[in-house]
Amino acid sequence: MLLIHCPHCNEERPELEFAYAGEAHIVRPNEAEQAEMSDADWSKFMFIRDNIRGDHAERWWHAHGCNMFFNAIRNTVTDKFTMTYKVCQKRPTEHQIKVAKND
Amino acid sequence: MLFDQGIDIPEALSGDALNIALEPEKARFNVRVKSKDVAAFKKASGFKFPVKIGATAKTGTQLISKFGPDEWVISDDAKSREKIAKKLSKLAGQFVMSATDISHRNIAFNVSGRLANEAVNIGCPLDLSLKSFPVGKATRTIFENAPIQLYRSGEDTFQIECWRSFAPYMVDFWTAFSRDIA
Repeated sequence: MLLIHCPHCNEERPELEFAYAGEAHIVRPNEAEQAEMSDADWSKFMFIRDNIRGDHAERWWHAHGCNMFFNAIRNTVTDKFTMTYKVCQKRPTEHQIKVAKND
Repeated sequence: MLFDQGIDIPEALSGDALNIALEPEKARFNVRVKSKDVAAFKKASGFKFPVKIGATAKTGTQLISKFGPDEWVISDDAKSREKIAKKLSKLAGQFVMSATDISHRNIAFNVSGRLANEAVNIGCPLDLSLKSFPVGKATRTIFENAPIQLYRSGEDTFQIECWRSFAPYMVDFWTAFSRDIA
C-alpha cells in the first residue's frame, strides 16, 4: 500500500484514505473569458488533459481524513510520490522536483 | 432521555484480552469556523479548540477533536446536548460558521484490552505505535469500507465512532477476529 503525505495533516497516511481528483493547475476561465470562448476552447478546458508519462502534477483529496484537496507530484511510470503541496502553492520547478527526489 | 441505540455486541467480544463495549448515547456537534475567526471564537465560546489537526482537548466529559484545518467535533455526554446547542446557536449570530448536531448519526465503541491495537488494525492500516499515534490523538480514517473516527483514550483503549448504519458491519469484523484469536 502507498503511503501519501498529506500537507494538511502533515503525516503519511495510507492511500485508502485518499481519492484521485484529476490533473492539477488547470485554471477555470472566468465569466468574461467564458463568454468569449469558442466551443472548441471550452471543450479543451473541460476534457483535454496532457496524460503525461513521468512526473505528473495532480490533485488528491484526503477524503477519509482532513477532507482537504492538495496537489502532488507523482511519477506515472513508477507510481512514486515525489512531493505533495497545498493547493495555493505554484507547481514546483523541475529543479525542486529533482531535489525532492534526492531526499 | 436516553434511547436504545439498537446495537447488540456478542458476548465473545467481552474478554480480558479484547473488550468491545458500546458507549452510551452522546451529544456531538460538528463545528466549522474560518481560520481567521478561531481565536475570537475560542474567546467568545470558552471551548478549548485544539490547534493541530489530530489533537484533542478534554475537559471533564467534554472532548473536542480537530479533524480538518477548520473543522472540530465537540462530543459530550447526552445531557449537555441542549446546552451546547443553545451556546452554538448564539455564537452563530456573531461568526460565519456552521454547527451541525450529529449526536444520533454516530455510534461509539470502546475497544480495550491487550489486543485492542490489533482489533483496530484488522480494518484500518494506520500505524498505531505510541510514537505516531499517541494517547489523546484523534483522527478520521477508514475501517474496511466504513469511515470512522478513531480516538486513543489510553495505551490500550480506543474509541471508535462510525455511522450507526455501519455498526453491525464493524461488529461482524470483530466477531470474526475474536474467533480467529480464540
